[in-house]
Amino acid sequence: MSLKSLDPRVTRLNLPEGEAPAIEPKQELDQFETYEAFHQKKDGAAHTYVGPVHAPNEDVAFLFAKEQYSRRFTCVGLWIVRTEHIQVTPYVGDQENVYDMMRVEEPTERSEEVEAYEIFHLKKRGKAHAHVGRVMATSYQEALQEARKQFGEKGPIVNVWVMKSKHVLQSAEEDKDMWTTIPEKKYREAIAYKVMDKITKYKEEHKTTAS
Amino acid sequence: MNELAIKDLLYKLADDQLILGHRNSEWTGFGPILEEDIAFSSMAQDKIGHSLAFYTLLQDLGETDPDTVAFTRNANQFHNSQLVELPNGEYDFSLIRHFLYDNAEIIRFEMLSQSSYEPIAKVTTKLKGEVKYHVLHANTWIKNLGSSTEEAILRLQSSLTEAIPYALGMFETSKFEQELIESGVYAGEEAVKAEWLERIQAVIEKTDLKLPDLNTTEPKFGGRNGEHTEHLQPLLDEMAEVFKIDPTAEW
Amino acid sequence: MYGGGNVFEATKFDNLQTEDPAKLAEFEARIARGEKIEPKDWMPELYRKQLIRMIEQHAHSEIIGALPEGTWITRAPGFRRKMAQMAKVQDEVGHAQLLYSAAETLGKTREQMLTDLINGKSKYSNVFNYPAFTWADSNIISWLIDAGAIVNQMANAKGSYGPYSRALERICAEEAFHLKYGHDAVVHMATGSSKQREMIQAALNRWWPPIMTFFGPSDKMSTHTETLMRWKVKMASNDECRQQFLDMYVPKIWELGLTVPDPKLKKNMETGQWEYTEPDWDEFKRVINGDGPCNAERLAVRRTAEERGAWVRRALLNPKAKYVKPLA
Repeated sequence: MSLKSLDPRVTRLNLPEGEAPAIEPKQELDQFETYEAFHQKKDGAAHTYVGPVHAPNEDVAFLFAKEQYSRRFTCVGLWIVRTEHIQVTPYVGDQENVYDMMRVEEPTERSEEVEAYEIFHLKKRGKAHAHVGRVMATSYQEALQEARKQFGEKGPIVNVWVMKSKHVLQSAEEDKDMWTTIPEKKYREAIAYKVMDKITKYKEEHKTTAS
Repeated sequence: MNELAIKDLLYKLADDQLILGHRNSEWTGFGPILEEDIAFSSMAQDKIGHSLAFYTLLQDLGETDPDTVAFTRNANQFHNSQLVELPNGEYDFSLIRHFLYDNAEIIRFEMLSQSSYEPIAKVTTKLKGEVKYHVLHANTWIKNLGSSTEEAILRLQSSLTEAIPYALGMFETSKFEQELIESGVYAGEEAVKAEWLERIQAVIEKTDLKLPDLNTTEPKFGGRNGEHTEHLQPLLDEMAEVFKIDPTAEW
Repeated sequence: MYGGGNVFEATKFDNLQTEDPAKLAEFEARIARGEKIEPKDWMPELYRKQLIRMIEQHAHSEIIGALPEGTWITRAPGFRRKMAQMAKVQDEVGHAQLLYSAAETLGKTREQMLTDLINGKSKYSNVFNYPAFTWADSNIISWLIDAGAIVNQMANAKGSYGPYSRALERICAEEAFHLKYGHDAVVHMATGSSKQREMIQAALNRWWPPIMTFFGPSDKMSTHTETLMRWKVKMASNDECRQQFLDMYVPKIWELGLTVPDPKLKKNMETGQWEYTEPDWDEFKRVINGDGPCNAERLAVRRTAEERGAWVRRALLNPKAKYVKPLA
């Protein structure tokens, strides 16, 4: 006998009835590695951190992040970076500036030519990292020093993320139309549901019959 | 312009999307990984939304309201292709169907956005971007899985072989074909099919999959004229189960 | 969606003597200043363990919670309901994704969490072990279970752990849609035909007892609980949440002329507290330990979904990839 559920979808799965036996522990990477996603709310706005996705590569990560992190509210662009490719400074207090407080280490690796790096700042613990700009450097450490010169004056800065621009998968300008209809999908928004009229009408009618 | 011809076109567009959207929604909560579950649900929602947009155009032409049209007709009154009504099967079949269907859908939308019938042109222009994501999603998955493990390739190949006759059924011409083409409403099924073939071949070439020989494949026609597989009516019954408790009620 | 019902038992990490006193002092001072803790910060083991457990249970509740309402996706009546039901259940899966990620930043992988869920090693919210018999049950869940979840999650969003707060902020925003949608559907039923009214009252009768257990039994105060409250892990007592829920939603149920199936339910105007029949905590314990109407089905479905998707994950697994915990 297979399991008969109230959910016709479950009934169609033909599950065996009764308790399911235990599974072997899932293997490492069964859920893939992780990628971090940054969205851009409107043209000219900074790309802001929205969260991670598990995916087998950056193309699939893009597909996943697009629906997990930009299916509501306006969006004009999305960046995807493999978590492993992001260098993170220590975190300092909400009133402090991390650039003033850390010891910049000697680079372990340097590129021959300068490369572009993207810099993200966290202004307050609990909030999200936002893109502040791009610097040219031959290593992550040098990029951090450059970032300090260019963007590090105005504290507090709690934490900094540094990544090579070449590691950032950026949505294309011509793909913006994938997001254009989102603000119209009102069925996903609280604002589309208004029932006060029905309640008032019901109460009115009820009152009349009661008295 | 012949209103019957336009209605016929709108019905097949709307019914395809309603039924496929419904099928795809069956995956919600059962997907292979959480993120994909979410992406697949979004596309299912889009499809249902697209069908609603087309049923609304039909209502503007004097047909009854979208809920009644979608939830009270019987299988023989539906104009969807048989491809979309087949059960979901395993994920390989759902992905292959999604790939074959959406690569045709985007071409329809691109062509219809140039339609001489303005209401259709407006709707498809607006919704095109959503279908673009659907195609990106389908093509990315097929490229990835279609050149991965033997297991995955075998699964996809077998689903592709199974789905192809039904996919060809999408391009069943209607009796209004010539009229629609001549009046510039729609470029016609043959044009869509030719372009579709090029696009799916371009993706398949990047994988270890093989497109079956289309010259020897008998297309599964009939859906556009209300002839369906045994799978459609139970689906419609399920869809209408609550609605039919009291069709006059507001749910 | 998630209730309280966390049992914050004492653990072997309760003894804070083994923690570095200077680091502990700095950690506590940070929380006292109202600053959030971020993944790279030093934190006591007790903090880490309790948060993993709490966030993981929350994540499991979302993914299992997608099932009772998922039951009605294919049958939702009409376009408006169908699309909203799909979006709502999708959100629950999305919440699971966000919460698993937050728990991962603390060091437990998603693989470990999913294994523990399927093998019954970790818990999820008990209400989801009850069936959604009719469309009306689904509406009651959308409205009242999500309402309960919001009470709890709003409190937890003010907690001290950055990734959890960020996830909850977004979750609460989406739950606001669920709540309105659920209310809208219930109002349509309650003010609709006599058949609809009958359906919604029956569903309310079925769901009221599980709803009353949603926030868990009264907390036993101990030094352990006090520590977790000081660290802003536990943000409100189970009873506080339950009272707040009753305060906000019982009047909204009553104004629709529906009957809450508890003859003792009333607000004591002197104490300002709601009085009610004590929920059946024995049943609660029995169900949470596996013997509820739907426990076996819920886990079997989850297990099957994982198994049927395994070939997809195997196909794309890159053995050279390196797993790195999500950053925030």
